[in-house]
Amino acid sequence: MAPMDQLAVARTRDAADATPDARREVIGAEGLGRRFGTVEALVDVTFTVRQGDFLAIMGPSGSGKTTLLNILSLLDAPTSGSCRLDGIETATLSEADRVVIRREKVGLVFQTFHLIPYLSAVENVMLAQHYHSIADRDEAFAALERVGMGHRADHLPSQLSGGEQQRVCIARALINAPALILADEPTGNLDADNEARVMDLLDSLRHEGRTIVLVTHNPELGARADSILRLQHGRAV
Amino acid sequence: MLLRMLWQSLFEGRRRKALAALTVALSATLVTTLFALSVDVGDKMAREMKSYGSNIRVTPKSETMSLVVGGVDYNPLKDKETLAESDLWKIKDIFWRNNIVGLAPRLTAPVTVQVGGRDGAGKASVIGTYFDQRVPLPDDAQYRTGVRTINPFWEVAGAWPTEPDPDDTAAQVETVLVGAALAERLGVAAGDRLTLAPRGEGVTADPRSVTVSGVLRTGGPEDNAIVAPLALAQALTGLAGRVQAVDVSALTIPENELSSKARRDTGDLTAEQYDSWYCSAYVSSIAHQIEEAIVNAAARPVWQVAAGEGAVIGRIQTLLLVVSLAAVAAAAMGVSALMNTTILERAREIGLMKALGAAGWEIHALFLGEAGLVGLIGGAFGVLCGWGVAQAVGWGVFGSGVDMPLITIPIVLVISVLTVLVGSILPARTITRLHPVEVLHGRA
Ligand SMILES: Nc1ncnc2c1ncn2[C@@H]1O[C@H](COP(=O)(O)OP(=O)(O)O)[C@@H](O)[C@H]1O
Ligand SMILES: [Mg+2]
Repeated sequence: MAPMDQLAVARTRDAADATPDARREVIGAEGLGRRFGTVEALVDVTFTVRQGDFLAIMGPSGSGKTTLLNILSLLDAPTSGSCRLDGIETATLSEADRVVIRREKVGLVFQTFHLIPYLSAVENVMLAQHYHSIADRDEAFAALERVGMGHRADHLPSQLSGGEQQRVCIARALINAPALILADEPTGNLDADNEARVMDLLDSLRHEGRTIVLVTHNPELGARADSILRLQHGRAV
Repeated sequence: MLLRMLWQSLFEGRRRKALAALTVALSATLVTTLFALSVDVGDKMAREMKSYGSNIRVTPKSETMSLVVGGVDYNPLKDKETLAESDLWKIKDIFWRNNIVGLAPRLTAPVTVQVGGRDGAGKASVIGTYFDQRVPLPDDAQYRTGVRTINPFWEVAGAWPTEPDPDDTAAQVETVLVGAALAERLGVAAGDRLTLAPRGEGVTADPRSVTVSGVLRTGGPEDNAIVAPLALAQALTGLAGRVQAVDVSALTIPENELSSKARRDTGDLTAEQYDSWYCSAYVSSIAHQIEEAIVNAAARPVWQVAAGEGAVIGRIQTLLLVVSLAAVAAAAMGVSALMNTTILERAREIGLMKALGAAGWEIHALFLGEAGLVGLIGGAFGVLCGWGVAQAVGWGVFGSGVDMPLITIPIVLVISVLTVLVGSILPARTITRLHPVEVLHGRA
């Protein structure tokens, strides 16, 4: 099935399948593996994330957390195993199809903030809308309000603190109402105050029913999650 | 959105973009200069070379050898050995009329000269010609031509003679030039009066009194003669409305195989070759057209000059073209290097756009659009500078401005934008190859 058809199927199923007990599967990873030459960055990882879950992926540096997140966010493809995202098998998609599914389904937050330096906060959010569908300033502004950045909407990234930039990134990840929000050590570059604000923000998103996968090696943050996937040398432990 | 991004990212990395624009501006300056020069200067240069004389001489077909000794013609003229002055405008009415820079008739009158207030008389010739005479044309009643156009290097100490208007039949020639050598021999200078009496069998014209307006130096036979408005020579020979020969200065293209074949015999050409020859500005085809226009006229190219001119101009234009191409290629390479650095520097941005789901073409459009704008700005700047340089060269070399055809502006802008785009092709491939995971995470 072509990815766009799969999208359509997933949407129709969305409406039918409404019972809270049988929550929709957002990620279904089975035996995921990723090798870089001789390096086995990920070995036989299996897990499921359902709608509204808050999963923390934890493990020491070099354990394969980012590698896994790249596969989940369709920035990379596994070398073995399969991975369903919102009902779509993604392991075998072409790069172009992965781009399409990614902008439909995934909101990304990075450790380093990655905003376009010459676009204002609201324009950075609008850019994600633009690539997804159509840029809408009011909607983008509302998303900034949601993360408490409405008053800085017209500021350039260079005029914002790290914590503020990361909140703009979260607004950008939210804007297209993705099925899944993926965050790779979003507080890794923040001080304690800002870390708390960002985590509170993620918490409140989770309570709104968003599905979130958070990579962290901070046990305190991991404790906030519903469940934890621990990695060690690329394996789930 | 894309346009807004384009606009805002245009001001990113301003220093490098300014540098790229400058590179393009430099090449655009050259291209504009060379363009303006080779279009206008092709003509200008040819005109300039025309200052070394005419390149076609028109004579009556029946003209027998004239017997000239020391500037004095001993062979009295007859009507059938002359051309009608009233036919001269036809030379400016041929197919290649716009290539006719100018023309000057000649009629030589043998005279005895007596300097006012002195005894004794000497023999000399009066060469009648046009200096800057009005020759009414069907499409330009105010057309003026003469030796001052076709022989701009003629030097006059004093003033040029006043020529009677062709419509004013009662007007008399009052002033003449005296050749430098003759002036010395006769001991005359500007302001002196001369009495010129016709000499030769069967000529019954009255002597004429004239004032020397200036002393002429040409380096040619005119230095030994009196050079006067044509009407005076006609009066002194009794050949009203006639001329002996016409010197024509025409802009021509270099001779080639076709024109040499035509030179041998136009009958050898096929109909197609003939048409092609006839419609090209070879000196031989222009001469041929003059013969067609004036009954009983023989038009002969003055070969050495004509062939050389065309070849030199052709070579100069080739040179200009080569230099332009080199400048454009150098600019493209410079832009390529700058673009490469820009893209590497902005790799994170590109990776982010890809991660957000941007299609490859959108990112290309952003960068190439930016490059195109830089090229446009550089090109516009270059057109301005190039125009200035062309003017400077024009004034420096030819003593006049250069007419830059307006079409130069869009052409140079397009060349500039293309230069930048071509220079961006290789760097832009980096965009395609760039993988977001390589730049988005702390590790890279
Ligand atoms: N592109 C790559 N090429 C080669 N090795 C890689 C690449 N990406 C990750 N690795 C290796 O895979 C392992 C897991 O890396 P990563 O997923 O970045 O770990 P973490 O994010 O948990 O710190 C590391 O040993 C790393 O060197
Ligand atoms: Mg990592």
